[in-house]
Amino acid sequence: MTHQAPSIHLDSGLEIGYGSPIARFGESVILSGGTHFLLARNGRGKTTLLRTLARTLKPVAGSFQVEGFPQYLPEDLRFDASITPAMIFRMLLPKARLADALELAASIELDVRKPYGRLSTGNRRKTNLIAAEFSVKPETGNILLLDEPFSGLDAFARQTFEEIWRKSAANVLRLVSCHPDYDSMEMPSALMIEGKSARHLQGNGQTWSQLKSLLN
Amino acid sequence: MRLFRLTIATIFQRNSWAICAFAVIAMPFVLPVISSATEKPLLLQPARILAAWNTLWICSLSWGLFTAAREGEVNAKSGVGEYFLTTGVSATRQLFEIWLAVFCFISPLTIITALICQFAAAPADPAEHSMWWTLNLQYASLFLLVIAPLLALATALASRFGGITGFAVTLFLTLYGLYGVGYLDNMLRIEENPLLQGFLLFSPQYRFADLTQRLYFKSGALPPAAFWMMIVYFAGILAVYAGVSRLCFRTKLSA
Repeated sequence: MTHQAPSIHLDSGLEIGYGSPIARFGESVILSGGTHFLLARNGRGKTTLLRTLARTLKPVAGSFQVEGFPQYLPEDLRFDASITPAMIFRMLLPKARLADALELAASIELDVRKPYGRLSTGNRRKTNLIAAEFSVKPETGNILLLDEPFSGLDAFARQTFEEIWRKSAANVLRLVSCHPDYDSMEMPSALMIEGKSARHLQGNGQTWSQLKSLLN
Repeated sequence: MRLFRLTIATIFQRNSWAICAFAVIAMPFVLPVISSATEKPLLLQPARILAAWNTLWICSLSWGLFTAAREGEVNAKSGVGEYFLTTGVSATRQLFEIWLAVFCFISPLTIITALICQFAAAPADPAEHSMWWTLNLQYASLFLLVIAPLLALATALASRFGGITGFAVTLFLTLYGLYGVGYLDNMLRIEENPLLQGFLLFSPQYRFADLTQRLYFKSGALPPAAFWMMIVYFAGILAVYAGVSRLCFRTKLSA
């Protein structure tokens, strides 16, 4: 099956913010399929950049291009408290993928019969992530913009999702904002917002311990 | 139609619709029994008509508008609207899908009410009976035409100004259109006032869609010309409300 490869082109001079710029890309950035991390201190523009790329927020200046089916998963996304994860999956996912989604839910110990409102933060996050991951369109390139998907998630679930990400790197581009919690976390591709400037750092073997000193 | 399916499932899961369904089915049979109609069997059927349609109005204006407002507010506040927006579901489409989900609960209630009226409160006289189907059908059509844009308006206002505003404004608007305009009209017959006359002219005349009294007094079906004029009038209101709703509706909280 052939599919259009997902990509994000951020042009040099792109400025993001709410009215006034909070970060600017000095050089153009090209991201292709795979996982890219978005790193910055609180309030420096991670969510703003994701929203801009999702086109729910206009850039202050400059331009960018996104190729692929986009999904932006807000950090505070929550479904109705009375509905269960099983029902959410049934309503949102294609029938052919429902069984796989439920299987994944079982493997990461998500109780799909419990109302969403009674789930822990981590389990709500698992529900949202499964809904987004299984909404990916196999026949085309996909862009997943994930805002803090790891917060509240246990290590096992996190590993499971990272494994899924590795397997689907060819037709899914994931831009993941996060605050890593262990130094050895590998980040071969990272968009960093330092102060008011944003740049792309990449390299095999690049880890969080090397990058965190750059954040001011 | 993923948002439609999600909204349908959410409303279904909350169970409050069951109270409305129970009320619409049971009240037309229970209320006449506990009213003075038991002393005069002749009044039993008119009492059933009143109970059936008034229960439907009450359920639609309370549960229907509240649910529509709640869904609009939740969609904007929970991040669900923003998520769907990024996947290509436009704001217009989201408003339509939420509206359709709520309407899917209201329309069966309307059909049930019309059927109860048709089969459990039809007049015995053959001449009156022949008009009963038409009048019930006319009432159900007008009712749906009135309630449909109000649901959309409740959803849209709630998405921008909050659930309480969405619910209260549409409830007030409906009550004003059902009862307030009648009082205003009577008042202006006694004392003329050009300003209020103009206000009345642009008020939604929902009282014309309430055919309960026509059923109650067995006045027969509306003449086709009058009925179609009302359809056009309420379709005009629908068009205006649809435009206002789309302008007000938003999929996410402003930054």
